[in-house]
Amino acid sequence: MISLSTGAFYERASRQMGDLRAQATTLQQQIGTGKRLDRSSDDPVAAARMRTLERTQRMAGIDQQNSASANTDLQLTDTALGSVADLIVRAKELATQAANGTLNNSQRASIGLEVQGLADNLLAIANTRNGAGHALFGGQAAGDAYSKTGGTVGYDGTTALDTIDLGDGQTVLPGMVGPDAFSFTVGASSTDLFAVLGGLATALQGGASDPAQSARDAMGALDAGLDKVTTAQTVVGARMGWIELMDDRRTQMSEMVTTEQASTGGADIAASMTRLQEMMTVLQASQASFVKLANLSLFNEIR
Amino acid sequence: MASDLLAIAASGARAARGALDVTAQNIANAASDGYVRRTARMEEVSAAGGQMRMGDLSLSGVRISGIQRNADMFRQSEVRRTTADSSRGAAELAGLQNVQAAVEQSGVYSAVVGFEASLQALTADPVDPAMRAEVIASAQAMTNKFNIAAGSLDSAGEGLRFNAQAGVDQANVYGGELARLNLRIGRAGADSSDRATLLDQRDLLLGKLSDIADISTSFGPDGSVRVGLGAGGATDFVTGGTAATLTMATATDGTVSFQAGGNAFTPSGGLLAGSANALVEVAGTLGQLDTLADSMAAAFNTVQTGGITPAGSPGQPLFSGSGAGGITTALTDGAMLATAPAGAAIGSRDASNLAAMRQALESGGTASGVNRLLFDVSSKVAGREVTQGALDAIASSASVALEEQAGVDLDTEAANLIRFQQAFQASGRAMQVASTIFDTLLGIK
Repeated sequence: MISLSTGAFYERASRQMGDLRAQATTLQQQIGTGKRLDRSSDDPVAAARMRTLERTQRMAGIDQQNSASANTDLQLTDTALGSVADLIVRAKELATQAANGTLNNSQRASIGLEVQGLADNLLAIANTRNGAGHALFGGQAAGDAYSKTGGTVGYDGTTALDTIDLGDGQTVLPGMVGPDAFSFTVGASSTDLFAVLGGLATALQGGASDPAQSARDAMGALDAGLDKVTTAQTVVGARMGWIELMDDRRTQMSEMVTTEQASTGGADIAASMTRLQEMMTVLQASQASFVKLANLSLFNEIR
Repeated sequence: MASDLLAIAASGARAARGALDVTAQNIANAASDGYVRRTARMEEVSAAGGQMRMGDLSLSGVRISGIQRNADMFRQSEVRRTTADSSRGAAELAGLQNVQAAVEQSGVYSAVVGFEASLQALTADPVDPAMRAEVIASAQAMTNKFNIAAGSLDSAGEGLRFNAQAGVDQANVYGGELARLNLRIGRAGADSSDRATLLDQRDLLLGKLSDIADISTSFGPDGSVRVGLGAGGATDFVTGGTAATLTMATATDGTVSFQAGGNAFTPSGGLLAGSANALVEVAGTLGQLDTLADSMAAAFNTVQTGGITPAGSPGQPLFSGSGAGGITTALTDGAMLATAPAGAAIGSRDASNLAAMRQALESGGTASGVNRLLFDVSSKVAGREVTQGALDAIASSASVALEEQAGVDLDTEAANLIRFQQAFQASGRAMQVASTIFDTLLGIK
């Protein structure tokens, strides 16, 4: 005979209902927070994965900031190079005028004055600073990229430029150092735009015996300079394209990470609700049956 | 004729009264802790006829020969064994949950990631003062989080040791009580209700004791118990009327060991075993956290001191102190970060040393180390939770099984009430018959 003692009956009933209530509470918590994991021990593997994903996302956020600042620098560089190209075109026009044999020397001298102005503008553009206040064309230097001493413009920056991390091991050069944009070779000798414009201005203002010939000579050099600057612009454009590509990739990655986070650590609301409903039904049923059974004492029947 | 109808009926009424008393006692104690259902054992009283009068009726009625205690020794020892297991599991689980909370909720992992992120952000402009200040701030946040985690682990250990000490104190009280009970049980009369009460108390104390440590018991013929501790119960705890004193010793790493009367023993169940196991985990986790903090600091400082600051001076160590509890951020000024390599110009934006710092953190595996530590701890907790669920179920089914066998069933008692009431009434009726017979005899004229 299995005799069920009264104490055992109550203990079993309270334990069963306590279990059901605890499960219902857990489900309610999942629905309330939208998270399946409250503590790591709820699912250690998923929790470890969630931490890695969180780190990936945080680093991707920094990559995004870095990429935005690199993009800004490249846009500034692009604008500056565009201005330089306009400036060279204007200088070529002036050189063409000056090369005309019908002009007299004083007319050439006034053209030379304008060329001198262009040379000064070029120096200002080459010393443009970026948003953080660093020389756009100066590499890693702390001060200006170019300086003028005794009529000669010299490069003060470094030849190297720091790359910026775009994530996934990809990097980009967020700009261009001066020599890459402004120095070129004419014939066999290397020169730069500052020397060409400065030389032209000096020649037109009486520094040369045959200014018209100097102007004709300078036109070739200016063509080479324009080539160099437009090439640099193309490179900068390509880098911006690369950044855009990486941004797209990062967006896709972030979507995938978010999806994985939801599937790894998110609660399935529909399933949890159904489960909760089931749990409540069972709990109600066991409460009702407990009350019925507890009232079923032989003492009630003894009169 | 040696029989006496009135006396027989009176003995029946007495026995039924006694049985009713026992039933009422059972009903009254239906909810008492450790109460074992009693049954009144009845015995016929008769005597053989005297010499030469073997054929005579010699009936003397009934008597209550003893109060029987319906305790099943096997089920009781099962309850003790499973209780010790489940209480060990519970203590261990609670300790591990505290360890997990200490490492997880202190936010060490996200602080390490935050430090890495600030270094990565600095690559956009290595000389930007705001970003440099951010690196210092996140380094401070990280060292603080390490300190908090170590502090939380320490207090988790403190709590575990407190619990274990409380368990030891409690066990000493129970041990002394058992020794006293052993003496009294020896003196109580066999099958007396006094004895049954003492045995109830003895079993209740043994049950409480097995909550604290796994015990092995052996019972003497007089009902006294010997309690042993440790492997195979080899270490004496309660023997006869004497109880050894339990003591707890704490090692330098915070783990604990136990002695009974000067003899070392290792509990494998109960609160003491659970606390001791959890303390080993606390010490292990703290050790791993210390290693992570130290190796991170060493790797970073090596790179930092190898570079130069924007002002051109050689880098000073960023982290000082040792261990997760002692690590601090030594620098407070972002300008002291040596992002440029040695030999770079003053104010240089050359970030190759910054890249080396990030590389050192990455390859040093600080973030992944903390992640792994968390994974280790949390998977231990998850595993223990499953085990604990099973141990709990086993312990509860053992105690329900004992309760079913030894506990009071009110329905049975109600039936007994009716039965013994009827027996009492029937004996009364027998007395009435005896009286009628006497009246008949006396009425003969």
